[in-house]
Amino acid sequence: MMKTHAVAPLLLVSLAGASSAAFATQYLTVEQAQKAIFPEATAFKPATLQLTLEQMQQMEKLAGLPARSAAWRSFSAFKDDKLLGYIVLDDVIGKFELISYAVGLLPDASVRQVEILSYRESHGFEIRSANWRQQFVGKTAASGLSIGNGIANISGATLSCTHVTDGVRRIAALAQVVLKK
Amino acid sequence: MKRRAQPWLGTLVKISIGDADDVLAAAAFSAAFQQVELVHRLMSFHAADSDLGRINRAPAGSMVDIDPHTYTVLQAAMQVTAASAGLFDPRVAGRLVEWDMLPHSGPALPAYQPQRAAFSLNGEGQLQKLSADWLDLGGIAKGYAVDLAILSLQQSGVRQACVNAGGDLRVIGDSPCEILLRDPASPDNMAYKLSLQNQALATSASYFSLRRTEQGSYSALVNGQTGEPMLDAVSVSVTAESCMLADALTKVVMASGDAKHPCLAQFGAHALII
Repeated sequence: MMKTHAVAPLLLVSLAGASSAAFATQYLTVEQAQKAIFPEATAFKPATLQLTLEQMQQMEKLAGLPARSAAWRSFSAFKDDKLLGYIVLDDVIGKFELISYAVGLLPDASVRQVEILSYRESHGFEIRSANWRQQFVGKTAASGLSIGNGIANISGATLSCTHVTDGVRRIAALAQVVLKK
Repeated sequence: MKRRAQPWLGTLVKISIGDADDVLAAAAFSAAFQQVELVHRLMSFHAADSDLGRINRAPAGSMVDIDPHTYTVLQAAMQVTAASAGLFDPRVAGRLVEWDMLPHSGPALPAYQPQRAAFSLNGEGQLQKLSADWLDLGGIAKGYAVDLAILSLQQSGVRQACVNAGGDLRVIGDSPCEILLRDPASPDNMAYKLSLQNQALATSASYFSLRRTEQGSYSALVNGQTGEPMLDAVSVSVTAESCMLADALTKVVMASGDAKHPCLAQFGAHALII
């Protein structure tokens, strides 16, 4: 474990001047996430889960979090006629990142797998504007949204993903209320 | 480049693979994330049934059976604690609980006393608890999870990859990987770009965890010698062969303010303070 041989020197370049840009990393498309979560599935049927007020209250009670939305985008995964489970899509806004993710659930409403679909982080002064989420709308990688290829790894203090884990808890409660077989 | 990300260890764990076809990559991602999940399950402070949860609830003097992975991490933690004269110390859990950075659960919380031995390892997969102090592996386990994920990718036949667990990362392969370091004075900006090849890099800073209250200021980084929070607006990055060591050593450099702390050479590591 305590190896002492020389480590390659770091190539260090200051990024002075790169003042405002954003990273947009696409991890999986919805279709790829479907296959990653339920590789054995032969069909995915889309559905919008529309909650009643009562269902939203049940969900809030189970999750201990505000229900946030009455309509959720989902898919049922089938292998032939057999229901394998569900996928529910959501996105959350963090300190300065926007994360889209998919939660795979079994028919008993237990969480099978969580996959991040995309991660977008804005850098520079733009982040400080009030409606920064609008920055992303209508922009693509081709419109100069990203530094380089936009997918460099970032190292820094650990950015907590409480908003994603809360989101997963909310979706698990949603599944208990409206999907559980 | 194929990429996947999942939430584990309180952050997003991102894996990229550069040299595999779809079928191989799918199996490699799955196996690597399972290793990250394993570390999450064994070393979570929050879960009462994790190895760490069982250690923290056990009374002083008792022997606790732990998983070989937990054993490895605790062993490395002991080595860094010894080499840094206690600047890095997993016993800082108690301070983090006092400051509401970690949840209060289990038995009464003992007051933090610097330089006390909390446990010993018996060489047979067991930990003996020497004091009632609580342990937190938040400063080293993410690095270990990265190392296990890299090992798993290699075992799957992947040669070009990067695993990044909330800033603690490791790259393998023939081409260098571009890494951006956040500016500690304004973490939504990138301060530096560096190029990494067959190496691990971990960064610690207090900018995301810093909390100022009427009672005082706190952060998730604790100087193990004094038990005081580290509040300086600096960022410490350490490169090493293993991400586990890089992760732990950032705390030594942060606490000492010394980018050439003797501890680094002992572990073949280098540091950068911004």
